[in-house]
Amino acid sequence: MSEKSHLLPYAQRSDFKVARANELTGTDRRFFRFLEIVPGVAAWATIVGIVLASIYTPFIAAYFIIAFSIYWVLKTIFLSYHVRYNWKRLKHHMELDWGAMVQRFSYDKYYHLVIFPFYKEPIEVLEQTIQGVLAAKYDTQKLIVVFAAEARAGAEAEAVARTLEDKYADSFGHFLVTIHPSDIVGEIAGKGSNVHWALQQVKQQVIDVQNIPYQNILTSIFDIDTVIYPDYFNCLIWFFMTVENPYKSCFQPVPLFTNNLWEASALSRVMAMSSTFWQMIMQERPEKAATFSSHSVSFQALYEIGYGQANVVSEDSRIFWNLMIANDGNFEVVSMSYPIAMDATTASTFWGTIANIYRQHRRWTYGVENWCYIVYHFTKNKAIPLKKRWSVALLQGEGYWSLVTNPIMLFILGWAPIFLGTREFHETVLSYELPIMVRNLLIVAMFGLVVSAVISLSLTPPRPDGHSRFRYVVMMLQWIMVPLTMIIFSAIPGLDAQTRLMFGRYMGFWVTPKARTK
Amino acid sequence: MTHEPQIHILPPKHRSIFFWFLVLIFLVTLPSLIFYTTGYRLSFENEETSIVTTGGMYVTTDNLEVDVYLDEGQVERPRLFRSAYYIQNISAGQHQIVVQSPGYQTWVKELPVDSRVVTEASAFNLPELTQIRPITLYETATGTSVYFSSQIIDTVFAQASSTEPYYYSTSTATTTLQLNSEFLFVESLFGSSSTSTQSVFSRFLEGVGRFGFATTTPKTPAASTTPVKRTVRGDMELFDENSELYARWLGSATAIPYYFCVSSSSAASTTQRYGEHVAQAVEAARISTSTPLLIDTDRVCRTQVQLNRLRQDVFYYDFFPNSSDLVLMQLQNGIYVTEIDDRAWQNTQLLYPGTDIQTIVENDVIYIKDGEYYFQIATQIETN
Repeated sequence: MSEKSHLLPYAQRSDFKVARANELTGTDRRFFRFLEIVPGVAAWATIVGIVLASIYTPFIAAYFIIAFSIYWVLKTIFLSYHVRYNWKRLKHHMELDWGAMVQRFSYDKYYHLVIFPFYKEPIEVLEQTIQGVLAAKYDTQKLIVVFAAEARAGAEAEAVARTLEDKYADSFGHFLVTIHPSDIVGEIAGKGSNVHWALQQVKQQVIDVQNIPYQNILTSIFDIDTVIYPDYFNCLIWFFMTVENPYKSCFQPVPLFTNNLWEASALSRVMAMSSTFWQMIMQERPEKAATFSSHSVSFQALYEIGYGQANVVSEDSRIFWNLMIANDGNFEVVSMSYPIAMDATTASTFWGTIANIYRQHRRWTYGVENWCYIVYHFTKNKAIPLKKRWSVALLQGEGYWSLVTNPIMLFILGWAPIFLGTREFHETVLSYELPIMVRNLLIVAMFGLVVSAVISLSLTPPRPDGHSRFRYVVMMLQWIMVPLTMIIFSAIPGLDAQTRLMFGRYMGFWVTPKARTK
Repeated sequence: MTHEPQIHILPPKHRSIFFWFLVLIFLVTLPSLIFYTTGYRLSFENEETSIVTTGGMYVTTDNLEVDVYLDEGQVERPRLFRSAYYIQNISAGQHQIVVQSPGYQTWVKELPVDSRVVTEASAFNLPELTQIRPITLYETATGTSVYFSSQIIDTVFAQASSTEPYYYSTSTATTTLQLNSEFLFVESLFGSSSTSTQSVFSRFLEGVGRFGFATTTPKTPAASTTPVKRTVRGDMELFDENSELYARWLGSATAIPYYFCVSSSSAASTTQRYGEHVAQAVEAARISTSTPLLIDTDRVCRTQVQLNRLRQDVFYYDFFPNSSDLVLMQLQNGIYVTEIDDRAWQNTQLLYPGTDIQTIVENDVIYIKDGEYYFQIATQIETN
């Protein structure tokens, strides 16, 4: 049997797992390189264009800024509507007894394969993660737990995994420690390649040995700091059993970055909750979403595409695009609206926290590499409906463009005509009214932050001993930092990432440091 | 027992309806706000609804505690940048703007406002009772100025207040006192300068005299014959010529201060909007070769403005500290500050009264010598 015979037809293409232009040749290479350049050029052209328009056509620039400010207010209202709705749904799902709800299904045959890739995280982080799995309201004998260590992390990382194996192996149906070699050609170091290796190993060492049908395995690929809520596996089973195409679906929980929320700085909390809110929005419009961070999918689906890619940075979303393109567009994200807990990005110092958040968001926004991938394959895979190809390409492109440009346009370039405009412009009522109007519209938009503050408090874990009640006040007020965080931790790292891609200075995977207060 | 969640995913139809509702709001709001920000307003006057165009006025002040009045109606104080007033919704036409505060001199100007355009002005309000800082030869160990004569109180502090305490000594003994080096510095300034002891007019006459002795041509005082003192700050120059005082713009046309310029309409219009003197100055500039008119797209700009010396001789002049729009003048009966902006009229305010006084501005500090006493005039206005 051919090495690729088990793959879906489109996944058998040699360029199916392309990550960079330099992996292709001829026209394909040039086209992919062009796609790598487009996002950066679009972002810079927008920013420079507004500056030039402010200098040479300040009236047009001013009208555009007013239009954009109104658009921003309405967008805030639109997204707040989604957040608020998902918040209701999330709270409702957290109150449901999923264990009872799945009783009507015959699901004993299903196994949950849970993969925890890790690097050099301390054992306390792994312990908390595994305790979360043990606390699940689910038959742990139906769990296949894999701790995927990196050889490049040294013997210490393997020792940590072995310690956990000794301690917890008997608690689960199967427990496996994999060591991802550091010298596999064609891979980049990171979570994606580690998971890719772990999936192959667990297939060989557990799944095939135990003769477990691939269709009967639900694979959850979790970041190492993921602490599941007790009903996660029941909830996952429920959705798996009720969706129309369970083998053509990814299951996306809501990541709450709350594990260390009480220890994290206000800056970390704002960034963490902002990420959560974005995922909550996407939960209500899953047709526009891709998988993010920790998520679940059938092993069968992964097997049919060769376990995703080991050569990309944003592997969490790329796996969805692999699945979607290989299945000719017939693959979807199912929003579970059920939480998992993860870590807010922190460091031991303030500046360290800033640096870590910046690097993490730069890595996330480097997800723009996925846009090149999907547009490239949309031109190749004509089996995907044309409308879907166009809508996904435009939607994803707009997303990466607006991520980078909108905060800068709103909070910085909005004032450009006032400073750069001509004398004729400066003498007009428009010149004086523009900052007042933009300021007032931003104030209206900021009311959306009140919604954010209230929802974030409701998702905050109970106050641990030793933390003042005053912290709740800080947690409300911290949201005034949002205009700043949008620029520093969304727009600038996004621009950084897109510029790197534009110049072919490809990024590697940066591991977000995790820690626990001992 | 429930078999499925009661709250389902947000229905696409709801999302779609909400989305198009917001699009509708956008389409309605955008033109409304663009019209608003360009100066259009709905008017309900005379029980008729109509759309009118308005202009604005932007007035900067040097005092945070002033009250601003437009056509006798008080303008609400700005909340954030309290030293600048942006007044909206002003109908086109002539408007009087008044900036005043108790204890301060009043600044008044009448300016034209055009539709969709903002008229700029810069107000200043000097205190009615000038604040001065005594500079004495001797001071106490703690730095308090010491006077040896009670006459100071009658001659100086009757018309000014001190920003610092001073000490009146009935004894002339100085053993417990220390010499004030600043006094020696200021004394040397006045000792080395004669600028405020001779008027501009006197120097003009001297110039005419010298010209007369040097040549045999008739004694017609040509501009070039007057000994001219020039003071420059940035691109602004002050100079006297033929006993008159002028401010001249030396910089580019794009950076010229607004008050040099008028809209490029007729002389009659300029007279009506800014006063006859401005119209005459513009017309003079049109035919002048030495101070040409700068013609921009929609305006013409003089480069020279004559300053109002209140029909008195000017003994000393310089820029008011930290300003290139205000001029300090020592006239016959005191020290005055005038604005270069001559639209409508130039506001001129008394800074320090006196006839037997000399003035020097050194490093943006105003020093005066009143009789035998030296002072610094406080230009940072103290507000309560």
